[in-house]
Amino acid sequence: MFELLAQTSLNAIYAASYISLVAVGLVLIFGVMGVVNFAHGELFMVGSYVVVALYADRMVPFFVAVAAGLIFVGLLGLLMERALFRPLRDNPLGGLVASIGFLMVLQALAVLGFGVRMEHIPPVTQDVITFADKISIPVARVYVIVTAIVMLSALWYFLKRTRFGWALRASAQDPEAAALQGISVTQTAMIAMFIGAGFAGMAGALTAPLISINPHMGHSVIITAFIVIIVGGVGSLEGAVLASVVYAFVHTFVTTFFDGVLADITGLALMLIVLIVKPTGLFGSADRA
Amino acid sequence: MTALLEVQNLTMRFGGLTAVDGLNFKVEKGNIHGLIGPNGAGKTTTFNMVSGFYKPSHGKVLLNGEDISGLPMHEVANRGVVRTFQHSTLFAELYVLDNALIGTHMTFRPNLFAAILGLDGAARREALDRARSSLEFFGLGDVEQELAGDLSHGHQRALGMAVAYASRPDLILLDEPFTGMNPEETRQMMDLMRRLCAEGTTILLVEHDMQAIMGLCDNITCMSFGKFLAEGGPAEIRNHPDVIEAYLGGARHVA
Amino acid sequence: MRNLFLWVALAIAVIILPNLVSFSQQEVLVFMTINILVVASYRLLTLTGEWSLGHVVIMGVGAYASALVTKELGLWVPLGILVGGLASALIALALSVPLFRMKGFYFLIGSFAAGEIIRLLWKRFRDPFGGAKGIKGIDPMPDFSIGIYQFDFFEPVSYFYFSAVVVAFCLWILWRIEKSPVGLTFHAVHWQDKLAQASGVNLRRYRTMAFVIASGFAGIAGALLAHYIGTINPNSFDVEVMVFVLTWAIVGGTGTFYGPILGCVVLTILNEIVLRELGLEQTRPLIYGLILILSILFMPNGLESIVQRVTRRKDAK
Repeated sequence: MFELLAQTSLNAIYAASYISLVAVGLVLIFGVMGVVNFAHGELFMVGSYVVVALYADRMVPFFVAVAAGLIFVGLLGLLMERALFRPLRDNPLGGLVASIGFLMVLQALAVLGFGVRMEHIPPVTQDVITFADKISIPVARVYVIVTAIVMLSALWYFLKRTRFGWALRASAQDPEAAALQGISVTQTAMIAMFIGAGFAGMAGALTAPLISINPHMGHSVIITAFIVIIVGGVGSLEGAVLASVVYAFVHTFVTTFFDGVLADITGLALMLIVLIVKPTGLFGSADRA
Repeated sequence: MTALLEVQNLTMRFGGLTAVDGLNFKVEKGNIHGLIGPNGAGKTTTFNMVSGFYKPSHGKVLLNGEDISGLPMHEVANRGVVRTFQHSTLFAELYVLDNALIGTHMTFRPNLFAAILGLDGAARREALDRARSSLEFFGLGDVEQELAGDLSHGHQRALGMAVAYASRPDLILLDEPFTGMNPEETRQMMDLMRRLCAEGTTILLVEHDMQAIMGLCDNITCMSFGKFLAEGGPAEIRNHPDVIEAYLGGARHVA
Repeated sequence: MRNLFLWVALAIAVIILPNLVSFSQQEVLVFMTINILVVASYRLLTLTGEWSLGHVVIMGVGAYASALVTKELGLWVPLGILVGGLASALIALALSVPLFRMKGFYFLIGSFAAGEIIRLLWKRFRDPFGGAKGIKGIDPMPDFSIGIYQFDFFEPVSYFYFSAVVVAFCLWILWRIEKSPVGLTFHAVHWQDKLAQASGVNLRRYRTMAFVIASGFAGIAGALLAHYIGTINPNSFDVEVMVFVLTWAIVGGTGTFYGPILGCVVLTILNEIVLRELGLEQTRPLIYGLILILSILFMPNGLESIVQRVTRRKDAK
């Protein structure tokens, strides 16, 4: 029994890693720009396909492909900021709608470029770390966990210790005051968008060898991301990380002991309960909704 | 004899801030009662508690002896207490007549099935008559086909009151009705309010314009820093040392 | 007088139209008619200012309800369709309890979540919903004759006439609601909810009313769909379809009653004539996505604003 619990916990930690990357990206975008990026799941998908195109099809080294994924999707985020969110800055509902349109475009482009079937790309490494004979974790998953910890720490450092990070936080708290202080709204939006999108893309890229890739995979990603940020509190980055862990554990355990669909239902029900009881989330701060 | 409105030990706390602290006063039926005080005294907060927009942290609001504290706004309105809003809050995208029609909501409650089947003609006509008479009372009879957002400032204020009056409430709460009015408009508005009162409507108003307050009110309650400061007729309040002090001293704390 | 003439002309056009087009286009007409009801019912909801992302799933509730009640219980199909509408309305009523504690953005996400939960329940429970495969072999409308015309529901034309009548009736009801004092109250709730409350309007009750009514009509549309196609599954009512509905509403504009209907018709024609002729059918999601983006950026008031500008100029002359 202990082995099962430990194994499931390891699986949950892995899930929490990439979920928190996605959720943190979404919160960053919402916090700084006040807009809900419905296309966030598709940004994850694009990251996966970058790895498909580079690592699987062109034998580019895996981590180079992941870095490329991060940068490419980050740039895609900049495109979204410039073309969609900036003109619609006064109309957050419009921005949301535009992001829905964009997710359709990305999905369609993925179908055109790669076809509808599911891709499975060769694993990065077949190595597995085993504890006590019964508990194991593929090294590939360890890569994801370690990268997530490193990148989240880097982000934390960036936000708390650098000028740009401070500017981002100020913009998120009070955009008008920040503007009066000489912080460029556009610049902070661009930085937030690049990082937010880049993180989603990176999560997709990192997990590409471990999951089945198809143009519609973004659907479940965005749902998970919404659940997490609502539960964690819409304006809170720490909340997003904590809620990712909570969600990953709940989901993984329910999947292991019952089934995946029930786990999905549980996650959604959890979100609804939070929305009813404490809409600002478990760790929520003042939000911009 | 129970007062129409009584506020007992009314308190409102927002987190660490106590906006209103243990307020007591009564509004007699048929009066025009003023609520004054320097900025930040808690007048609008008091209004919001009386009208049901806020639930008091403590204390009671009694209407004809009945405890209405914490009831939602539409319930309070249904008991005959209607309020206006400080910042020309109107349905700007709708016609003036439609604005007034919404004011008749409580008296001529819309019936969905009757409407679909076309059986509500009589009720609709009556509601329209009521809306029109309310507009006429406030001198807006000519502009009923204009968009509310296109009206002049003075007319917008008048419309706000016409909407409130359309349900013939027992008590109207007026939130700074004279803001931004020139002396002529102020004079006209004061006349209208006297007529309103003569018809039997009790008025509680929050206002900064001292001339209007002194000229209109039968009774005045003065607040300062959320607490009761003084109460009395215009002559008493005008000469009350605490009131004068509050306004002179309060000038340094204007928000 | 002019209006009466226009309505008669429209009715004649509707009767003649299916006979002028190909078989597959007749099918498109059927779908378009049903979609018009979906989008018009969605508009009623947006009248109170609430944008739900669960509307298409609620349409699905009607579809599933009607399918089950006719297939398993042998109920007469037209009654089944009514049951479908009722089921959707009841589910909406139940959902309104948790959902209307949320406002704006949270309501959007909450309605999305509720919709996903319902879809997952369809997927999870083979019995009675048929799981991921859904329900097949749904009873079609029984054939009947009205003397001058024999309704043979094997033919799309018959089903087109049938749904056109049903949808026209529903649209008439929706129109009457909008023009009634209830409709005015919906507008009030949308624009200035505090002021509406001060006039005694129970916001929650009216929002719920709009939600339930809109859902009821969506359910009827779903049931109409179910009895036409004959099979339904959870993917028939997924996010992609919701995005189509959203696109029609936004492209057409939601300021007027006809706005979303205009959006639906224009985009359906675009899809049929332009995309199918050019063989670009597969790119429909791409085109819709682009149209949605371009619409919200450059024509945020929708096509109806163009129509209004044109008619205003005509009146001014």
